Amino acid sequence: MTSDALQHPPTHAEILRAEGVRKTYRLGRVEVPVLRGATVSVREGEWLAIVGSSGSGKSTLLHLLGGLDKADADSGPILFAGEDLRRFGAARENRYRNRDVGFVFQFYHLLPELTVLENAMLPSLVGLSRLAWLSGSRGELRDRAAELLATCGLGHRLKHRPAELSGGERQRVAIARALINRPRVLLADEPTGNLDARTGHGILDLLAERHAAGLTLVMVTHDASVAARAQREVRITDGQVGA
Amino acid sequence: MYAPLLANRYLTSRIIPFIAVAAVALCVALVIIVVSVMTGFLDMVRNSGRTLIGDVVVNYPISGIPYYEELIADIEALPEAAAASPIVETLGLLRMPYGTIERTGAGAAQSGGQEVVRGRIEFVEVWGIDPASLDRVAGYYERLYWTTPSPEAAAKMAEDDPRLDPFYHRDEEGRALRSRRGADGIVLGIEVSEFNHRTKDGSYRTAGRRIDRQDREYFMGNRSLTLTLLPISSSAKLGEEQAREFDVVNEFQSGVYQIDSQRILAPISAVQDILQLGEAELSDPRQRDEFGRPKVIGTYPARATTIVVRAADGVSADRLRDAVELAYQRFAARVAADPTRTLIPPDTASVETWEGRLRNLIGPVEKERELMRTLFSIVYLVCAALVLAIFWAIVQEKTRDIGILRAVGASRTGVLWIFLRYGVLIGVVGSALGVLLAWGVVARINDIHDFLGTPATPAVQAIAWVATAAAAALSIRGMLRNSALHTVFWLFAAIGLGVLATLLLFHKGIVVWDPSIYYFTRIPSEVDRFTALTTALGGVVFSVIGAAIPAARAADTDPVQSLRYE
Repeated sequence: MTSDALQHPPTHAEILRAEGVRKTYRLGRVEVPVLRGATVSVREGEWLAIVGSSGSGKSTLLHLLGGLDKADADSGPILFAGEDLRRFGAARENRYRNRDVGFVFQFYHLLPELTVLENAMLPSLVGLSRLAWLSGSRGELRDRAAELLATCGLGHRLKHRPAELSGGERQRVAIARALINRPRVLLADEPTGNLDARTGHGILDLLAERHAAGLTLVMVTHDASVAARAQREVRITDGQVGA
Repeated sequence: MYAPLLANRYLTSRIIPFIAVAAVALCVALVIIVVSVMTGFLDMVRNSGRTLIGDVVVNYPISGIPYYEELIADIEALPEAAAASPIVETLGLLRMPYGTIERTGAGAAQSGGQEVVRGRIEFVEVWGIDPASLDRVAGYYERLYWTTPSPEAAAKMAEDDPRLDPFYHRDEEGRALRSRRGADGIVLGIEVSEFNHRTKDGSYRTAGRRIDRQDREYFMGNRSLTLTLLPISSSAKLGEEQAREFDVVNEFQSGVYQIDSQRILAPISAVQDILQLGEAELSDPRQRDEFGRPKVIGTYPARATTIVVRAADGVSADRLRDAVELAYQRFAARVAADPTRTLIPPDTASVETWEGRLRNLIGPVEKERELMRTLFSIVYLVCAALVLAIFWAIVQEKTRDIGILRAVGASRTGVLWIFLRYGVLIGVVGSALGVLLAWGVVARINDIHDFLGTPATPAVQAIAWVATAAAAALSIRGMLRNSALHTVFWLFAAIGLGVLATLLLFHKGIVVWDPSIYYFTRIPSEVDRFTALTTALGGVVFSVIGAAIPAARAADTDPVQSLRYE
């Protein structure tokens, strides 16, 4: 374990909060309400599992928490450390996605043209200025990504392309990518949903390690055994969050 | 700093950018090649009309301009003019050395009767010229056909080209318009005589109707021809026709069939003489001199119907025309004011630029150029649409990547920048390759044409059949290995090569640009620089637009929607 995840020692204060969040999708002329005033609160250092059946809106909630999607105009706020995401300008929104949160997707979403190392480095490259690049920060980033990948069990795969990896390995690269900028919250959408049980457990072990090191984790799953690894579980039904 | 990394990876890790580069290069090359050749062709047609008439033409037909030497001196003193030359233009009849054959004597040929050729009469435009000044104005010497070739030109000539034989070299005679025996000479347009046969390489052979091979006997330079002219008085009365024998001293090639098949050149003094336009003594029949003849009271000046003028370097034909027009008016006024002059030039003469004079020839060419521009705007748009479509497809395929980049915090401009770099690089490389390809094809177009005009050698045919068999074998191998891709790919290759091999079998040489029909010996082989530049720029611009618009659209979408894109 590196000191990476201890960048933000847990204070157990509320770090992320969704208050009466609404989200409606439009399918042609038909409006499909997915979230109908969902409220959820995440404390720093906590591992929260959001569970629910397929189509219940749990992934949508996670996307909204991660700033990847926009809530309805009449929606309540989403607050990150007290800041309302709705008031973010473009630059702050990019910085939020880049530095404050990390996102792990069910389908990994790695860039096929980049190597494992480059995929893991991607968020840090996105946040790197030209000046920092020229002053030699790239080497430092490369070392950090290699070290992080090694802790994810991929030290021997740095030069490989995603197509050459197994599902579990790809998800580990995705986790390394989500962690490279030392975010305060890791948002994981069905991180084991595409993996067999054994590989899935390996991924959960990796997440548990990071959580133990102080990382705040919000995980969406429909699998009760996966949710059981979290400290707390909330259920989402019909677009609303229950206890 | 991820943009350069990703743009480079997108460019180097897949085959599609290479297809895009090839598409841009081919589109750019297509437009440049066709426009260059067509523009070159139209320029050749247009400029060939200019041959032998300089930039500006002063014309007063039939009765001509008196004291024209003075006018020429006035014009040559103009800063706008470089040189001027007098011409006497008229129409005439030329008796050719071939035509109807009349057999005389009893029993005709069998009993030793004689054959007499009743030469065919050609209706010709006669130009009485001053060779030296016409050369300064319009490069007359360069137009003479039977001259000693330079070693470089000789090296390119066909083995049986008569110009390689010194017998045919008539440089001096052509330049002086005088024959070896000191008589007045004429120079015929190369297409006037039936004895001259144009070959596939654009050169001529001298051969009669009865034989189809090169023969000295049929060289016009050996002949004397009778030229008949009809003097016309200034009061529009026809004089008695005048026939005079001239030695043919050379032939000229202007590059325009109409001129080469109708015009003959003769010394200006001889034509003036026949047409009674030469200098003459003016006598008064009422007064007698010491010998009892009518007393000479003055000189009647020589006249020329046409003055051709060449512009000084950097002076446009229009500017020269205006200057010459003024010079003519001053000249006419000066002569009219001089009581000693026996003949007053007309107040105005027609002063035209070469384009004005040849508007009937140039007009259709210009229309054709406009038509070509319109058609090629459409081709250009088709190429632009193709490039746009390719980029659109490439970037659309990357929508999910754009979603990922936005999800890890990349800005819209950052994402856009990746694809702008991508479009610029492909556009620049594709356009540069296109320009190089076009330049290569246009510069070597005559060699390519010669290659197409030569039947395929047995070795080439054998290679084509071997390649067909190899492709067919690879297709069967693909079938046996259950590979649909290999089967289909090699099957199409085998069909294509088979068609090519069959065509080669029947191919006896294609001559698209036949100089014996087209009159130009070479296909234009200069790249039109303006077209090359604009087309290359267009290649880059459309690549960038094609890449930027779908990229901007994807960057504007919320990352989740881009990630869902399949």
